[in-house]
Amino acid sequence: MSTLYRLVYLSKNRISGGAAHIAAEVQSILAAAQRNNPPLELTGALIFNAGMFAQVLEGPCGSLEDTFEKIQQDPRHGDLEVLAYHQTTERAFQHWSMGYFGQSREGQDLFGHLAKATGFNTDGLEGTRLFEIIRDIALEEETRAA
Amino acid sequence: MAPRTAPAETMRYLHELSPQRRQAVADLALDTFLEMGRAAAIVGANGELRLVNDAFTELFGGVEDLTARLAKINADVAVSGGRLIHEVMLPDGRTVGLEVTLLEQGCLITGFDISRRQQRRAREAQLARTDDLTQLGNRLLFQEQLAERLAEPGHAYPPALLTIDLGRFKALNETLGRKTGDALLRLVAKRICSALADHDVVARLEGDKFAVLQLGQPQPQAAAALAARLIDLLGRAYLVDGQLINISACAGIVVVTPDMIDVEQVMSSADLALSRAKSDGQGSYRFFETAMDEKMRSCRKLEIDLRRALSLREFSLVYQPQVNLRSSAVSGFEALLRWQCPTRGAVSPLDFIPLAEQTGVITSIGEWVLRTACREAASWPNDHSIAVNVSGVQFAHPNLVKVVMSALAESGLAPQRLELEITESVMLDDRGQSLTVLNNLRSLGVRMALDDFGTGYSSLGYLRRFSFDKIKIDQSFVRGTANDPAGQAIVRAISSLGQSLGMKTVAEGVETREQFDRVVADGCTDVQGYLISRPLPSGQIASFLDERAPRP
Repeated sequence: MSTLYRLVYLSKNRISGGAAHIAAEVQSILAAAQRNNPPLELTGALIFNAGMFAQVLEGPCGSLEDTFEKIQQDPRHGDLEVLAYHQTTERAFQHWSMGYFGQSREGQDLFGHLAKATGFNTDGLEGTRLFEIIRDIALEEETRAA
Repeated sequence: MAPRTAPAETMRYLHELSPQRRQAVADLALDTFLEMGRAAAIVGANGELRLVNDAFTELFGGVEDLTARLAKINADVAVSGGRLIHEVMLPDGRTVGLEVTLLEQGCLITGFDISRRQQRRAREAQLARTDDLTQLGNRLLFQEQLAERLAEPGHAYPPALLTIDLGRFKALNETLGRKTGDALLRLVAKRICSALADHDVVARLEGDKFAVLQLGQPQPQAAAALAARLIDLLGRAYLVDGQLINISACAGIVVVTPDMIDVEQVMSSADLALSRAKSDGQGSYRFFETAMDEKMRSCRKLEIDLRRALSLREFSLVYQPQVNLRSSAVSGFEALLRWQCPTRGAVSPLDFIPLAEQTGVITSIGEWVLRTACREAASWPNDHSIAVNVSGVQFAHPNLVKVVMSALAESGLAPQRLELEITESVMLDDRGQSLTVLNNLRSLGVRMALDDFGTGYSSLGYLRRFSFDKIKIDQSFVRGTANDPAGQAIVRAISSLGQSLGMKTVAEGVETREQFDRVVADGCTDVQGYLISRPLPSGQIASFLDERAPRP
């Protein structure tokens, strides 16, 4: 098995438009990810909150970098910030080709407790913290589903 | 069977042969015609085949309108002076190379299939125009495409040329390794392509430098939008071989105008705009403006004039007196460079010294100044010191100590009279080198002064590492008015510093009585400026000293 890498990034692009527009946008990103990721051995999760996407992607270096490059060439992702990129020993989102934790938590302020520490400025947000948030939510969802 | 070989001369003098020999030769010729590998046919005036060999039948067998084609070839050769070489594309895609010779009636056609050669050439041509690393076009392709656009004016929208390069790429390549650097360049190439329209031309010119020819769009808006887009795209993070890489880009743009006809000119204009963009900071783009070109030209012209000035003896020196405040006596002179250019008139050193330093011309100008100042000062009636400015570039030159020795020896000037003024910048890039040079100069007996003190980094560490003979306080502090307490405080601090370290302190640029009184009060040891005297030509030094001498 090839070395596993994990990428955590934040897309600060504010998607303009109403809830319907945002839902459509998220839906199209999810559909593409759920279609493309399995053959590339990529797993991960996406959360949308406070007008931002936070995403974790895990998988082999080559697949990960190719996918990331596609995202980077997409004009819609202007202000993308990589928070972490490193080798890892195991997947945190084993069961998710691309988990999405937005709808079930609509109206909740997931980054709220971070806002206090960072003054709503995500510049200081660490990759590991964001990763933990997303992982915790995923675990909650999995437990609830079980 | 006729003999296969006939002596060459019998071919030439066919009519002189016996009928039997003639027949033999004719048989040989026919055999050769029929059996040779090259397709051959004798064609009548209307394109009808009179004699063909197997190779011809094989080559043209499937061509339906052969007679019409041959008639056309026949007509062409008749008007072209009897011989014609051309390439014919057959309906099945093959290319045939033909050689046609006009006969008394009709013509002789020989030829063969050159399709593979054509394909190979096309492949080679493409290879020669492709950048191996990124598979984009290369400089050759780009220049050819640009030349083509320049040659065909009259499009609705003018083409725009963008050159793009990456900041810090070289350093990155060195740190992360060539393999990662190459992979990054491939990603950069892809990102550039993702932003282009189909008919735009893109190439990697060299290293981390790319070029785009944007076609068929309203300018300059489209080029500005593309530049902004490329800078955004290329500035986004990259993941390469498990590493996160951040890099930025700059772009230079030329919108082609009808007067631009030269490829090199357009490309160098884009480069000029690019270098401006880079000096604006990473992530910027700039349009080429004629003014940039003019500035560059005028810079180049100045450089040429400057190089010429030395041999044409357009430089001269004037000397500004320095007066000791305690004794009121003249303590020395500072040599100042003047350039009287026949076309420009008097050019201020402020306007040409920076360029002279950039281009290195300063080394020879500086040497001339040093030799001239020593020679002229040696002829003066007194033992006054003569201060000569030494630029940082000169100071870094390994020859400096030798030049100083030679100037002293040539002029016979006592080394103690020569004072070299250096600025703080000389001490800045110090790897111990400048200190060695300073000590070597001092060991000659020459004195050293620190010029323009207070304007640079003013690190007191310099003063500790090397004991200068003199500190010159920059005129900007001296000229401050009475209500500039900060300037005055600095003058006072430097004077007191000089006093404790045993260094003279010279206040420069003293123009008024008020400034004079102040620097006296602030404790400077010497003073220089228009109030004492304007700079004088060497010939007037004797009379100046004479006038100042106390009358009996």
